[in-house]
Amino acid sequence: MSGKKRKLMKVYPIEENCISCRYCEVACTMVHSESQDPVKAYKLEGLKPRPTVEVKGAVSLSVMCRHCKHPFCFDACISGAITVDKNGKVNLDEDKCVGCWNCVLVCPFGAAHPFVERKHSFKCDLCEERGFPACVEACPNRALIYDFER
Amino acid sequence: MRYVIVGNSAAAVGCITGIRKVDKENEIVVISYEDRCYSKPMIADVLVDFPEEKLLYRDEKFFEENGVTQILGHKAISINPESKVVVLDSGELVPYDKLLISTGAVPFVPPIEGSDKKGVFTFTELGSAKAFKEYIKENNVKEVIIIGSGFIGLEVAYFLREIGINVTVVELLDRVLGKALDKRGSEIVEKMLRDKGVNFIFNNTVERIEGDEKVTSVTLKSGDVLRADAVVVAIGVRPNVELAKTAGVEVNRGIVTDDHMATNVPDIYAAGDCIECLDITDGQRKPLPLFPLAFEQGFVAGLNMAGKKMEYLGGLPLNSLKFLEKPVLNAGIVEPPDDSYEVILNDQFEKKGYYRKAIIKDNRLVGFVAIGEIDRVGILTNLIRQRIDVSGIKDRLVSLDFGLVDLPQEWRKEKLVEDKTAYKDWRAV
Repeated sequence: MSGKKRKLMKVYPIEENCISCRYCEVACTMVHSESQDPVKAYKLEGLKPRPTVEVKGAVSLSVMCRHCKHPFCFDACISGAITVDKNGKVNLDEDKCVGCWNCVLVCPFGAAHPFVERKHSFKCDLCEERGFPACVEACPNRALIYDFER
Repeated sequence: MRYVIVGNSAAAVGCITGIRKVDKENEIVVISYEDRCYSKPMIADVLVDFPEEKLLYRDEKFFEENGVTQILGHKAISINPESKVVVLDSGELVPYDKLLISTGAVPFVPPIEGSDKKGVFTFTELGSAKAFKEYIKENNVKEVIIIGSGFIGLEVAYFLREIGINVTVVELLDRVLGKALDKRGSEIVEKMLRDKGVNFIFNNTVERIEGDEKVTSVTLKSGDVLRADAVVVAIGVRPNVELAKTAGVEVNRGIVTDDHMATNVPDIYAAGDCIECLDITDGQRKPLPLFPLAFEQGFVAGLNMAGKKMEYLGGLPLNSLKFLEKPVLNAGIVEPPDDSYEVILNDQFEKKGYYRKAIIKDNRLVGFVAIGEIDRVGILTNLIRQRIDVSGIKDRLVSLDFGLVDLPQEWRKEKLVEDKTAYKDWRAV
């Protein structure tokens, strides 16, 4: 808004290429797990994927946090757990989150998910610690690309 | 240029964020009679053992990084718009170039006989919440009467049960959350709270609070007398407009602002629970004391104060019950006012633990309720906000796998591919 273009890279779904294999979901869950094992991540750690693969007839795509230019989740967060960094990346601190579900209620993409049992929300963090989004790496059909914001 | 903000909650923080998007240099001063920037919707949590630092909404670092001077522990008592100063209770004068009034709302306490007795509390401030907790301990409180079954009343009731205190909620209407939720939703919430051990008395109200110095019982309108070691008045809030009036700011049911969050007095803006907000579901201006709206109004006010013209899109009434085991969310119109509305239901609460309801008018979604399963309901909120035609997907609206694939392909292109997610891009089409 200060005139400067944001320098943010994020994940873009290409619905023409998506074959709804859900590898992105598996890869995401795995890299965010303690065990680093896809089966244990689901079964033992009870983790859930941050992207959601949506399917309807011939159309499918993987949807994750869009790091909106105006993030409604940031407006609505009552605990201060959601912050926006200088490049426009939207972060959600799961430890600070109190589970008020306002972000779930206002996210136009349905990309902030409730972890009701653990009383906090979670969403795509662009695999910041890892350096490159695991979903993009796992996608076999170039249906996810990691690119600069348009 | 000197920005002054009165109040230190969601709207104030939104305003600071907005100003700093445009103006990194000039001084911002925040005035608040409270001692820190805590989250108002979280104060009922103090009743259980909740770490107090978690209540903090923005820490000192936020104010430092944004170059904000805080004047805390002092109340702003009047504004002189001619000399452009805010007068504090200490006598100090705080000059401003642009002023934001974000004084929030104050609890509404009806004229109940005996409401001045010790043991009667309201619940919109951290101070009163803590005082209530102290009172419970010191007076060995066992029975609490809560007047009103709105969000605050129910949350307090829930947390009191958590710490083993008997609670009775007295409500004038015939159900809980009468103004916010639909009938079925109310039923579900009531059941969840009854399972927790909360008692309810409907179609009734507290007429008198009894006791010598301290509360000992209440007399209901029906004539029944209930034991009460403490009473919580949680009927609702009304905009806090006292300060605004001293400046000659126009006040109707709340402070009146234009689309840029400016009041009728030059260089004075207002945002948050103290104002009348444009409700996008009916086009009416009314108080909508909701956290996300307060932040957004503050944010837009901040942009405008710093010179970037931006119109406020208006607010969508929305709520989330955060304390129950099963989440309860709603937005927009939840009970159709007449036959011109369509209602689509997916009620599996008994069998599968969830309930979904969509309200449609003229092929546009105007409201919904989601209980139990709430993942991705924000997509519905967006349908309301952007007035997207839902004629072909009506039945899908209440299905758990409703998603972006159900929206027009054009929408996905615009938002996902072209990144049209700036504030103005979310305007209703």
